[in-house]
Amino acid sequence: MTFALILGSLMAVAGGLLVGATTLSPTAAMRALLSPDGGIESVFVWTLRLPRSLAAFVGGAGLSVSGCLLQTLTRNPLAGPHLTGVTAGAVAPIVACIVLLPGVSPLAYPWIGCAGGLAAALVTFWIARGSGARPLQLALGGVSVSMFLAAVTTYLLLLSGPRMASLLFWLSGGFQGRTWIHLIYMAPWVLIGLAGALAARRIVGLMSLDDATAAGMGVQLALWKPALLLLAVLPVAGIAPIGGPIAFVGLATPHIARLLRADGPGWTIALAAALGGFLLVVADLLARSIAAPREIPVGILTALIGGPIFVALILRPQTLKGRRV
Amino acid sequence: MNVGATRDLRADNALILPAWIGLTTIALALSVFMGVVDIPPVDVIAALVGKGSAQARSIIIDIRLPRVLVGMVVGVHFAVAGFILQSITRNPLADPSIMGISQGATLAVGVFLLFSVYIHNPGSNTLAELPLAWLPSIAIIGGLLAGLAIYAMAFGRNLGPIRLTICGVAVGALLHAVAIGLIAGWGSARIEILLEWLSGSLYARSWDHLRYLLPFTVVGLAMLPLIRRPLTMLRFDSSVSRSFGLSHKLHFSLALALACCLAASAVGVAGPIVFVGLIVPHLARFLAGRRFALVLPFTLALGIVVVTLGDLVGRLAGGAEEIPIGVVTAIFGAPLLLVLLRRMA
Repeated sequence: MTFALILGSLMAVAGGLLVGATTLSPTAAMRALLSPDGGIESVFVWTLRLPRSLAAFVGGAGLSVSGCLLQTLTRNPLAGPHLTGVTAGAVAPIVACIVLLPGVSPLAYPWIGCAGGLAAALVTFWIARGSGARPLQLALGGVSVSMFLAAVTTYLLLLSGPRMASLLFWLSGGFQGRTWIHLIYMAPWVLIGLAGALAARRIVGLMSLDDATAAGMGVQLALWKPALLLLAVLPVAGIAPIGGPIAFVGLATPHIARLLRADGPGWTIALAAALGGFLLVVADLLARSIAAPREIPVGILTALIGGPIFVALILRPQTLKGRRV
Repeated sequence: MNVGATRDLRADNALILPAWIGLTTIALALSVFMGVVDIPPVDVIAALVGKGSAQARSIIIDIRLPRVLVGMVVGVHFAVAGFILQSITRNPLADPSIMGISQGATLAVGVFLLFSVYIHNPGSNTLAELPLAWLPSIAIIGGLLAGLAIYAMAFGRNLGPIRLTICGVAVGALLHAVAIGLIAGWGSARIEILLEWLSGSLYARSWDHLRYLLPFTVVGLAMLPLIRRPLTMLRFDSSVSRSFGLSHKLHFSLALALACCLAASAVGVAGPIVFVGLIVPHLARFLAGRRFALVLPFTLALGIVVVTLGDLVGRLAGGAEEIPIGVVTAIFGAPLLLVLLRRMA
């Protein structure tokens, strides 16, 4: 299943090489891909289309891993990078740096985003903890943390003057014009998150039971809870400076992965990651070809796909019983 | 309750009415008298009665006064909408911006502007005239649609207050993502205006804004006495309120529609000023204590006071680059919501 999805994503990436503002024939694309000659077609393929599709795949995979871990940590089906405030927490300080401290190197952005995301997640968890992470408190806590940070971000944007339009496009999430450098720069963060989550799959499986059971099975909660939270924030922090906040992907894919009955927590994570990658590659493909040559921010599409899934989740009677579905 | 306590309450009531009128007046006066441009109070009064220098008159009459009045009306809209929503959903955390109504209105206005203004001058730098007269009505359509989604979920699935709120959150997050994407996607050079509106701002609101919003205020507030008793009943379970002889579904929908209209029309004029609808009813309930009859008047008064003072803070703190009122309310409102949530836990 996972491999099928990765294969599907590869096909979507390959298909994505063909379409866009200018359509290429399969043979032309193949030729440009295999023997880049500096012509216009190989620029299309190698500089414009391939890196952004791959970046979309990596981004989707990272967000899904983050969603998986957050849902496990909170034992809450509504958790995700967006609804726990992690995304907003990563984005707000980065915007602050861009606008107020232009001297800070872009290389520092993921670290800043990581600190912000962790802080936001901790505030959200602090609110939800007293009630054993009941969905309402978590969701509303995350939403209000996000709203607060969004307000600050908006104010910073208003201060940013001429850069506002480009910042806003980044803030609506998208992979337009992302290059190999961007990809290389965000991949390690996602890979660490994914590898860490897979390595800790036994812990993840146990943590999805309740705390007492997990502790009884020998999980050191005091150690693993912060570790998993960090693993959940890392991919978001890496993706945020590149792709911006992309809503709903991290929330939706773990549920789909579970619906597909992946074999154990490790495969759930892998499947969710592959699904997220696939989803975002397709969304990115649509975003740049529906209204070509104009771009639609990919955030609209993920919201349109993920939003209804989210609503459907809430409407399911078992969702709000405080237990994982 | 013994007779003495009742008498105390009556005595309080006699004091409270002038007190809140006084408080509101002070807030309004402060906003008119203070601003980025220092105008001596004597000149302000002179401008208000139509004398004084032309410059002072234009600042006071054309800029500050309409802005303060729009803020006042908008504050009432959001506060009452929040009050109604909190009553009918039996949820202390309901608010137009949490339940997705503001976002629905935002999206509707965004789409409307995209098709009415920007499609004619794409990417241009010209300052297109915004079709002000239409904005409140368009926003109401969006707000009602969002409300309809909430309504469909509340009755179609018979949701409890908690799930209803989260559904609102989900609908809101979805609509917000689409609205942001839409605004970012068309890449117009006039994005700044939209962004300011999106964060909730009273900047450059004129008499025209007030003129187009006021009919909705009058009609909305006129409806309030009609639904006051049902509103009290709706605070109970649907079965309880039905046993009092209330047509639950009818009154729920009426109240919801009223809340949507109030909040959405305000969004059309000033953008989504978040958390006002959440905070104000709580403050009102806190101040009113046992005197339930006073919660609604307090809500009205505090709506005015909170938005007026918040806007004053934003104007003065930001200097030339003023802080939008929506940012001010979010910065003060979010911690309050967090405390409320924590206390509920």
